[in-house]
Amino acid sequence: MVTNVTMPSAAGDQSGEAPLVKATDLHRSYGATVAVDGVSFELRRGEILGFLGPNGAGKSTTLKILTGTIAADSGSALISGINIEESPLEARKRFGYLPESLPFYWEMSVGDYLRFIGKARGLGGDHLRRRVDEVIDLLGLGRMRWRTTGALSKGFRQRVGLAQALIHDPEILILDEPTNGLDPQQIIEVRALIQNLANTRAIIFSTHILQEIAEICTRIMVIHSGKLVADAKPGELSGETSDGWEVVISGADISGTDWRRLSLEKAGSIRGGEHLLTYRGSGTPDITAIEAAARETSATLLEVRRPRKTLESAYLELTGMAAKGRGGGR
Amino acid sequence: MNAVGTVYRREVRSYFSTPIAYVFIPIQLAILSFFFFQFSPFFAAERAEMREFFALMPLMLFIFAPAITMRLWSEELRLGTSEILLTLPMRLREVVFAKFLAAFTVLCVSLVLTGGIPLTLAWLGNPDWGPVIGGYVGTVLAGAMFISLGCWVSALSENQVVSLLIGVAAGMVLVVVCSPGFATYLSGSSPNLARIVEDIGVISHFSSVERGVIALGDVVYFLSGTVLFLAMTITTIQAKRY
Repeated sequence: MVTNVTMPSAAGDQSGEAPLVKATDLHRSYGATVAVDGVSFELRRGEILGFLGPNGAGKSTTLKILTGTIAADSGSALISGINIEESPLEARKRFGYLPESLPFYWEMSVGDYLRFIGKARGLGGDHLRRRVDEVIDLLGLGRMRWRTTGALSKGFRQRVGLAQALIHDPEILILDEPTNGLDPQQIIEVRALIQNLANTRAIIFSTHILQEIAEICTRIMVIHSGKLVADAKPGELSGETSDGWEVVISGADISGTDWRRLSLEKAGSIRGGEHLLTYRGSGTPDITAIEAAARETSATLLEVRRPRKTLESAYLELTGMAAKGRGGGR
Repeated sequence: MNAVGTVYRREVRSYFSTPIAYVFIPIQLAILSFFFFQFSPFFAAERAEMREFFALMPLMLFIFAPAITMRLWSEELRLGTSEILLTLPMRLREVVFAKFLAAFTVLCVSLVLTGGIPLTLAWLGNPDWGPVIGGYVGTVLAGAMFISLGCWVSALSENQVVSLLIGVAAGMVLVVVCSPGFATYLSGSSPNLARIVEDIGVISHFSSVERGVIALGDVVYFLSGTVLFLAMTITTIQAKRY
């Protein structure tokens, strides 16, 4: 069983503005399978929320509940304070949504498709024309404007998906794996775009690329087996931990020393000739004694430090996959 | 109504920018003309009337209406385009109606193109235009019901071929199974069931249309059938949220 290390909400915005997205105790099952199990969170303007979890953890289901694509069994989702179930039309005007599978009408050109989405969203006349031009510009789709969406590469399709989500300039963006299938150059561009858009908006996007989260998110939520297991700022999940100590010793062979006497346990080698030991005792390690013990085998004490946790290890720990390794999700 | 117009225009353009309309309409025209001029007693009877032509219509509709409608929802569901479509700020009933209207338009275009047949009649003889116009009006009404049935069937499956087959099967129930002939067969054992079967069936409501007569009861039958299947389409799509 996973230990819940849910941290207090990292919602940084203290401006007093109501949250743009508010999910309260969402539940959703498919038959006997529980997909979302008591998910609650708030999202404010200016936040970029990275929604992380193994495949099948409930990411897409949560996003689909927020957009009203599927109904929750219980709980409520408010979009700009509007309940998605009670006033779906009003709520739908407030967000742009990029689904995980990039669904287009293959026979339509990029320009026609964006015009169609814009019209369906109530834009018209000059405003529609201007917005289509703006999003085409913003996403670098100029050369693709007259191409049919079916003839586009994955990267361009992803951009068209983002363009349709932005056509009505929404204050909330709900993006299901927006960088999926993009090449590194495109990933960098989309990340920069998301960061730019976040100033005046609230953005939630799901991903399973950890690096992405660390780089652009102001906040991370980890979902596992339908439950939120973490809601924190990126720095709170990775970086130095506050308990325990690690000792790094440099030397060719340090096995001649009885480290256990100093409550140290060998944890492995870092690279050639450097060894990592974990301090198992209470209080702080006795540096003088460790230094002396190291000298016995002509080794040197290099460092005594707090253990570091990478985002990867934090994620694996949270999703209960640390022991099993990266062997996939549910 | 802005939503209906937007979705309608997209759907109609889609029909005419993919091969569907161009394959479907000529085939329908060819079959209708062939059967009318070759197999019906048209030339033998030497009467300038289209009764035999309209008699072919129920069979034509239950095969070709699902062919028009099979992609309407199946393709949206398969590609996932419905996921964006249904998160746009439009009412589901508007979207359903717009799609229905688009498929209905394709059917009407194909009916307009059969205009060569009455023109041939006018060239060969002196037809009574009342029954001809009545026959077309009746066919349009029946067509609305078959298109609506096709919409619903299309919402049931992500596979277009499955939608087509279920659509044809459902049409067959309405045209062939619930026919006056079968009702006569049933009337011996259970007269009540026979009456219901005949009332549900299309043929009993279409027989006067063949003669070019539009009875109020038949209009009510075709229109309520259209509304019923559209409502079932809405319910079926809504149910996918749960």
